[in-house]
Amino acid sequence: MRRILRRYARLLAVQMRTSFTLAVQYRFDFFVEGLLAVIWLAITLVPLAVVFARRPSVAGWSYPEALVVVGLFSMLKAVLDGGVMPSLNHVVDGVRKGTLDFILLKPADAQFLVSTARFEPWRILDFLGSVGIVLFAFHRLHRWPGALDVCGGLFLFAVALMLLYSLWILVVSLSFRVVKVDNLSYLFVSIFDAGRWPIHVFKGALRVAFTVVFPLALMTTYPAQALLGTLTLAHALYAGAGGLLFTALARFIWQQSLRSYTSASS
Amino acid sequence: MKRGWLGEAGRDARRLLRAYPSLLRVGMADMLAYRAEFLVWILSMNLPLVMMALWTAVAADGPVGRFGQRDFVAYYLGMLIVRILSGSWLVWELTMEIRRGILATRLLRPIHPLWAFSATQLAAVPMRVVVLSPLVVVLYWVAGARLPVHDPARLAILAASLVGAWLLLFLVMALIGMLAAYVESALSVFDLWLAAQSILSGFLVPLELMPAWVARLARMLPFRYILGFPVETLIGLESNATALRDLGVQWLFIASALLATIVLWRRALRRFAAFGG
Amino acid sequence: MIRVKSLSKTYRVHRRPPGLGAALRSLVRRNYEDVHALREVSFAIAPGERVGFLGPNGAGKTTALKILSGLLYPTSGEVSVGGFVPQERQTDFLRMITLVMGQKQQLLWDLPPAETFAMNRALFDLPKREADVVENELVELLQIRPLLGKPCRQLSLGERMKCELAAALLHRPKVLFLDEPTIGLDVSMQAQMRDFIRRHNEATGATILLTSHYMADVAALCPRVIVIDKGHLIYDGELKSLARRIRPEKRITLHFSTVPAPGALDRLGNCVERSDTQAILSVRAAAVTDAVRAALEHLPIADISVEDPPLEEVMREFLAGDRPAKGGESAP
Repeated sequence: MRRILRRYARLLAVQMRTSFTLAVQYRFDFFVEGLLAVIWLAITLVPLAVVFARRPSVAGWSYPEALVVVGLFSMLKAVLDGGVMPSLNHVVDGVRKGTLDFILLKPADAQFLVSTARFEPWRILDFLGSVGIVLFAFHRLHRWPGALDVCGGLFLFAVALMLLYSLWILVVSLSFRVVKVDNLSYLFVSIFDAGRWPIHVFKGALRVAFTVVFPLALMTTYPAQALLGTLTLAHALYAGAGGLLFTALARFIWQQSLRSYTSASS
Repeated sequence: MKRGWLGEAGRDARRLLRAYPSLLRVGMADMLAYRAEFLVWILSMNLPLVMMALWTAVAADGPVGRFGQRDFVAYYLGMLIVRILSGSWLVWELTMEIRRGILATRLLRPIHPLWAFSATQLAAVPMRVVVLSPLVVVLYWVAGARLPVHDPARLAILAASLVGAWLLLFLVMALIGMLAAYVESALSVFDLWLAAQSILSGFLVPLELMPAWVARLARMLPFRYILGFPVETLIGLESNATALRDLGVQWLFIASALLATIVLWRRALRRFAAFGG
Repeated sequence: MIRVKSLSKTYRVHRRPPGLGAALRSLVRRNYEDVHALREVSFAIAPGERVGFLGPNGAGKTTALKILSGLLYPTSGEVSVGGFVPQERQTDFLRMITLVMGQKQQLLWDLPPAETFAMNRALFDLPKREADVVENELVELLQIRPLLGKPCRQLSLGERMKCELAAALLHRPKVLFLDEPTIGLDVSMQAQMRDFIRRHNEATGATILLTSHYMADVAALCPRVIVIDKGHLIYDGELKSLARRIRPEKRITLHFSTVPAPGALDRLGNCVERSDTQAILSVRAAAVTDAVRAALEHLPIADISVEDPPLEEVMREFLAGDRPAKGGESAP
């Protein structure tokens, strides 16, 4: 068991080394992208500012409370842009060009290799900036989360990461069957984007969809509620169970997709 | 001498008129082949719906400015329709072709490459109209009274504004895409455009609800004339007279963009040929 | 080493004829076609053999290689490589094989080959000292040391293929699947690659399965060939016997010192090519000596040579003549 862990640790180190080398080589491009990410973050705060300039609270959330959700969303987005998207694009590219075959020929778990194929290490700056937003929000609230709240928040953030990763595996598995759909990652991001708003903004069928089908609620609102001390234990456990279930489902679907994979012709 | 020149231009025009229908047909067949991608693209256009949810939640206990809940629904449905109808992907196609040197081969054909590109983009419109029709029905059901069903003048202005919106975006993409022959990060320039567009066109927030200086600034910039203006005309947020004036501004922007495209593309042609091979 | 029994592979493909009308119709009803890439193919390969897969484009050669390496699952039939079932993709199996594809590469594009080597070392869990020895050997044999530090995108196709080969052999696989490894390479690079592959096989006893369009590859490397056409295996045996069976003739090339009299050539036999300065005759092997003697007697010969017919022609004729009986198709 320890041998396997050591081996995969070595593999992870090698994969990260590749990404780091590329990050240094293309640092100008990554700088430009980072700048654009900051600009987009500022832009998306505009509707928030406009809304809360006219109303003190929306759907039960005040301005600083909504900011916590935005901050957590941005943290997840930094992980998405830095860890998930680069690998996803790399894999979808590989499926199209047929170079995914080489990954499948290596004696290591294909899901692991595919997940760690590419990172963008500069996104750590995005991540830290987003943590800053959360801190700023609590500053505005004039109170800070207790120890239990922080634990709950961390736990739910971990669940959020698990959910994000599983969703991504599902998208990649889909790209095996529908090879030409390159903008699947674009769709993924656009749906994910709805997570910057507290789930209570959405009503009816949409809220159900965002809780069960594409569990945005679990990813951003729940951790925010945990930090704010408004999440019940039942909900936290439900989220944890949901996360585990999703991860298992994603792994299963990945295995099935590998079975029916046919590499690009010739 | 002058007659000879007209004759040349006349021949080009006739060639174009003959070639264009088949370009359109090929474009449409292409769109059908890529229908999965098309569906994915349509599904990605959900930001107006998210904004709709947000603002209707805000307006739950009372209207915001002139907008009640129904008004927000009408606005964002209209925004979705206009966004989908006027959208193009020219900038991505152009930057890709320039980088790969493929654009140079287009220059060998007897018609200007932008005509062929326009045919590809226009060919997507019929499919979009088909997909949008249920949305139009919903819009009519929600806000029928505001739509220009019985107002032929406004209907004409609306039609012109939609054509203008498509054209303006197309030309802007042609200009920005052309930059790929000069700089590596032309797409980042377009990203900046999109960022500005999302605030200054009324895409994220109706311009009326923004601070007054933002609304004033937006009236002077082209962004609003790609999205906000057609939507406002669609759901009757301004009088016909004001709409007509705004239509003039829109087409003024289009004329300037057209002029810039013609002049700058001629300069850039040499650079296009330098890539690839 | 490799045992294949009644292997079949069928794909379902959506065929759409061109035109807008057909495109619209395909929205409502899709026409699916079954493509039989392989039909009941059986063969066995012993360890250390060098075997060539021949056949026209789309015949199923690449499909066969992909099934043997575990990338594709067969529709039916049994496949065993070194005692393993490829589709299970067990670790020991994957360590034993390697696949090199001439039109795709595993080298990381923006980084130097050295990085890919390092990655493969980690992926195959190779102990450092051994891996160093193997890597050095390969680098020396392929003469790629000056290339190791340059990003792959800056290398020429030939240089890239050599590095690709090195990367593929780092883990000392016992079975090599080579899919068109020399495609797009210039003549001298092709010769280098062939040389290297043959020497590798002789030194390590690795089993080699090669597909190629270039007859020179097959002629130089593979004493045994398997010919696949439209999914059917139509020949499995020695290349020489195949050539003799199809074209039991030799080629005599005559170089003239002066232009020969018209009609003088026709007496000697079937003239395949003729110009003022030379002619190529196709003559049955048994009749070669007589034909040569006659030529020297009656024609102004400056130079003469006798060769086997080019393999391309042999293959072309073989594939044109051999159609698996589908009932009702008339034989030529």
